[in-house]
Amino acid sequence: MAMENLAFLIPLLPALAFVLTFFLGKKLPSGGAIIPIVAIAISCIISLAITMGLLQNPEHVVTQSVHWFAILNLGILIDPLAAVMLSMVTFVSLLIHIYAVGYMAHDPAKPRYFAETALFTAAMLGLILSDNILQLFICWELVGLSSYLLIGFWFHKPGAAAAAKKAFLTTRIGDVMFLAGIVLLFSDIFTVYNGVLPEGVYVLQFSEMFHLIPELVAINSTILGMEVSHLTLVTLLFFGGAVGKSGQFPLHVWLPDAMEGPTTVSALIHAATMVTAGVYLVARTFPMFLAAPDSLIIVAIVGAFTALFAATMGIVMNDLKRVLAYSTVSQLGYMVLGLGLGAVVGAEAVGISMFHLINHAFFKALLFLCAGSVIHAVGTHDMRQLGGVGKVMPITFATMTAAALALAGFGIPGTSLGFSGFLSKDPIIESAYLYATETGSWMPYLFAITAAFLTSLYIFRLIFMTFTGEARTDYGGHESPSSMTVPLAILAVLAVIFGALTRTSFYHFIEETFVHMDIEALAELGGYHLAHHGHEPLLVLWMPLIVAVAGLVIAYLIYNRRVVDMSSIVSRNNPVYKLLYNRYYQHQIFVEFFSVKIIYEGLALAGYYSDKMLDWLVNGTSYVLIEAGDSLRKFQTGVIQHYAAAVVAGVGLLVVLIKLVMEVF
Amino acid sequence: MIPLNWYLGLSAIVFSIGLYGLMSHKNGIRMLMCVELMLNSANINLVAFSSYNNDMTGQVFALFSIAIAAAEAAVGFAILMSIYRMRDMINVDKLNILRW
Repeated sequence: MAMENLAFLIPLLPALAFVLTFFLGKKLPSGGAIIPIVAIAISCIISLAITMGLLQNPEHVVTQSVHWFAILNLGILIDPLAAVMLSMVTFVSLLIHIYAVGYMAHDPAKPRYFAETALFTAAMLGLILSDNILQLFICWELVGLSSYLLIGFWFHKPGAAAAAKKAFLTTRIGDVMFLAGIVLLFSDIFTVYNGVLPEGVYVLQFSEMFHLIPELVAINSTILGMEVSHLTLVTLLFFGGAVGKSGQFPLHVWLPDAMEGPTTVSALIHAATMVTAGVYLVARTFPMFLAAPDSLIIVAIVGAFTALFAATMGIVMNDLKRVLAYSTVSQLGYMVLGLGLGAVVGAEAVGISMFHLINHAFFKALLFLCAGSVIHAVGTHDMRQLGGVGKVMPITFATMTAAALALAGFGIPGTSLGFSGFLSKDPIIESAYLYATETGSWMPYLFAITAAFLTSLYIFRLIFMTFTGEARTDYGGHESPSSMTVPLAILAVLAVIFGALTRTSFYHFIEETFVHMDIEALAELGGYHLAHHGHEPLLVLWMPLIVAVAGLVIAYLIYNRRVVDMSSIVSRNNPVYKLLYNRYYQHQIFVEFFSVKIIYEGLALAGYYSDKMLDWLVNGTSYVLIEAGDSLRKFQTGVIQHYAAAVVAGVGLLVVLIKLVMEVF
Repeated sequence: MIPLNWYLGLSAIVFSIGLYGLMSHKNGIRMLMCVELMLNSANINLVAFSSYNNDMTGQVFALFSIAIAAAEAAVGFAILMSIYRMRDMINVDKLNILRW
């Protein structure tokens, strides 16, 4: 009971740690890392205790609410969905903070680093436990700010500064859509109540939003000749925000560039905080998506496309961290696809998506921290210069292999035996198959299964190129200190067994979030037909494993046995390789076409008009006023006789006027 | 009894002399004296009307205006004195410092 009253401390302690570390960090050993570590550890304990309480009694949702403005509130809502996220974020963030003590040991700006990561964690925790969407948006923006600060942590490097700017501006496109969605929702709720809100109604509170879904669906407007439900618009605008934060196509371009920050920051962004915010937003507002016609289908298509699209780029990258970055984009595509499959499986979609999110958090944090361990030891992240690192760094090698197996998804279909990535990715692919048989749209399934093959291929390419074979350059190298390897070991254990441990209870626990809602009725509002898992053919169950093994074998043959000479394929003349290596020319399209050609030159044109027309108007007005004032000024000669003459003339004029008036009347 | 017109004529002549002096002279002190002339021409009118109408009001007004003229002359002289100390002259043509 007491723990629930402490729920407000979960985001508050890291926020406090941010302030303290920022001001006192320089005076403390190792940049004051101890402050955020202790703060986040306490947050973690409170989160875990609340989660345990909810597991015992899922009805006992933590809600605390404070008046803010008359119609808005500031509040905490910890239901099963928020509880698992809180526990995961605090736990992974804690491990990353401990790891960073070793990783950032030689950086002079440590206080700033630890202050900013504490702020990042605080913002993310605030986002998760918001009970209204406005508060969520505020924390959402704070998360964006922290990511900007941390990606550009080494701001003296031009690449880091540019990457930070790119991340900020790209996610900003999504944020604007999100904000537009909130504004539209706000006005729609007023429409529903005819502008008169009953006492005690907080407009943007989630419970209020869900309560009004049937009324909101009924509001339509015509866009380009199509009748569009406002709820569809609102949810798609929310999804636009998720696309920006969670790196979905086409706003994923910032995520690989975010590698410019310290590797621990990449781990934090890619596993626990920033990118999960978008998935969480969609999961949190899932009842609205479920009731909105066509929204979930778009979500599924974007997710499936992103999963495959990013995986294709992952197989040609030579930078250790960039492979992992594209892997994150791809896995986020799976999560978003999982949510989109709610069009067929209903609220279970949130369960399968969140399950993948949590498992992904563990093994992706592990992958990044292992990569950081390698980079820390050998000082390069170009895989072409590495090779044979496994011999000098056995712990890193072992944990990285565990993470790779989890990511690629190895396990025995139909049982709970398997790495966590397998147990969470499999339900998504199976649901995609169900989606295909129900709706006849095979695109999500085919994309998901192809992406699973490519995932296995690129991650084992990374393992074989980096850890096995002979060293290609003389890089030295040594195993990392224990402050780094212990978090690796903890994460490795979780990456391997977490899925198997929680698989059966997890879905049930998450579904408790929506237990008060009539899912069937909501899906009917959205025009979806829910189906239940039947008996999928054996081939469908085994397919993910088959493609994963195929990827492993192909990677082994090419990069370890070298049965194919890659140098003949990997040439700048191969058009497919060229396309992939240049990342589909997205950077060129975005920067040179959109921003330079359209926006910049558009601004130049607008500038021309403002020079010619607006300036002329403004300057003309001031010119007339100055000239008028100047000519009036000349009447003031300062010569007394002139004033006296004016007085006499005035009096004379007055006399004549009075005389005239008297004559006339 | 001297007719009222004569007083009014005298007053008009004195006023015109004062006005002419005010507008044509450059010496500050002469200008002040001209202002006195104009005020006194008005006083002549006031007193003449007063006695013509057997009403004391005009004479009271005249006393007031004499008192105010004395005060105004004191202030005017003080200003001219300080200008003279600063600039060594009281030529009002050169004293266009009232303008911006």
